[in-house]
Amino acid sequence: MLKVKNVSKAFKDNQVLKKVDLEVEKGDVVVILGPSGSGKTTFLRCIDFLEKADGGEIEFDDIKTDLNHASAKTIEKIRKKSAFVFQNYNLFANKTALQNVTEGLTVARKVPKAEAIEIAKKALDKVGLSDKYDSYPVQLSGGQQQRVGIARAIAVNPDIILFDEPTSALDPELVGEVLKIMRELAKEGITMIVVTHEMKFAQDVATKVVFMDGGVVVEEGSPKEIFTKPKEERTREFLMRILPDFDYTI
Amino acid sequence: MKLNTEFMRETFIASLGGVPKTFLITILTLLVSIPIAFSMALSKLENKNVSSKIVTGYVSLIRGTPIVLQILFIYSLLPSTLNYLIKDVFGLSYNIFKMNKIVYAIIVFSLNNIAVLTELFRSALGTVGHGQMEAAMTVGLSKRQAYARIIIPQALVAALPNLCNTVIGLIKNTSLAFLMAVQEITAISKMKAASGYYYIEAYLMIALIYIIVCTVVQLLFAVIEHQLSGYKKRLAV
Repeated sequence: MLKVKNVSKAFKDNQVLKKVDLEVEKGDVVVILGPSGSGKTTFLRCIDFLEKADGGEIEFDDIKTDLNHASAKTIEKIRKKSAFVFQNYNLFANKTALQNVTEGLTVARKVPKAEAIEIAKKALDKVGLSDKYDSYPVQLSGGQQQRVGIARAIAVNPDIILFDEPTSALDPELVGEVLKIMRELAKEGITMIVVTHEMKFAQDVATKVVFMDGGVVVEEGSPKEIFTKPKEERTREFLMRILPDFDYTI
Repeated sequence: MKLNTEFMRETFIASLGGVPKTFLITILTLLVSIPIAFSMALSKLENKNVSSKIVTGYVSLIRGTPIVLQILFIYSLLPSTLNYLIKDVFGLSYNIFKMNKIVYAIIVFSLNNIAVLTELFRSALGTVGHGQMEAAMTVGLSKRQAYARIIIPQALVAALPNLCNTVIGLIKNTSLAFLMAVQEITAISKMKAASGYYYIEAYLMIALIYIIVCTVVQLLFAVIEHQLSGYKKRLAV
């Protein structure tokens, strides 16, 4: 369904991505792991054109384009088929929770207002915020804001949702509520790519785990393969540092 | 020293007659300069090319010179330049020297205000996190829609306190229009004062009128700010 190939990106002299490939099938939950600075967030942002890659191609269903020379129209098409959940939520501060969700429907997709409100209410109900329709972002906790962010993403019925460290900015006790919703979405078969440090989530939910380091994909495979018998030394080192009880068979 | 209260009363009433002119200059100047300054601020933020360099140069030029100098320059230069353009270049017979002097005042204050407001809007737009623009893009909004619906409404609220300062500064600066023979508050009072040498009385009345006008403007801005910043309040109402 989604194929990205040879993605390269440099910030000045710093080569952040070195020809990264990724393939995603419908219903996949791809979790990208890696130490900070490994390029995983930049990679995710390149897919949605939030960052302009220096090179690489994307094939998304029947849309095919160069990442560096994509036309505004193609970018718009890809963005309308996908949704993005940010680390810092990035809710529209001047809009209520409900308006945050309807914005992409009424303005970008020309859905009639009444219908958009119905969809938005359903999306907010799904993330457990039925009582917060009219709250402004500043009146919500971090976890609630991120749940609005997820509602905003699912309301447009995207083919794929990109999650960029969705729980990294949250207090530990709020992480659970966001992960719970993401688990539900995975269960429903929604295709997602998740950049995260939540190992438990990766182990339980992912259909495919990608380990990135130094701007390249070091290793990819099923969670079982990556977590129990990683092939690469760098993957092992990373897992040992991050999972205290990590134990692998050689 | 004894103040001539009768003269003060008369001067106050006569000078009030200049208030509409002060407001006219202020409002027309704002109408001209706000849209221009806003697009200049956007061009400075959005493209790092030639146009943004020109904007930067313009802002430095205006901010680096006293407004009195700008008034003197434009008032000595513009009428004869326009006259030359109209008579010799376009061959028209309009007498530019008969044109209402208020037009020059609006031109000078607009040129000055554009520079001030460009910086003001640029910093206000900067207060809205770039993340919201990105989020708007990812839900499928165009850049124009994102600015109109998400960024600018918040930037305006952020700009209000500074905008209030600027408007009050502009109102006070319009007193310099007397240099261009425009009959506004200051010019009327000064003329009254000269007739009887009651300068202190006249100056007190000028001060009083400006204090009243500026207080009204401040109150107005306070009301607008309260109306527009509902989304910033932590507790739901």
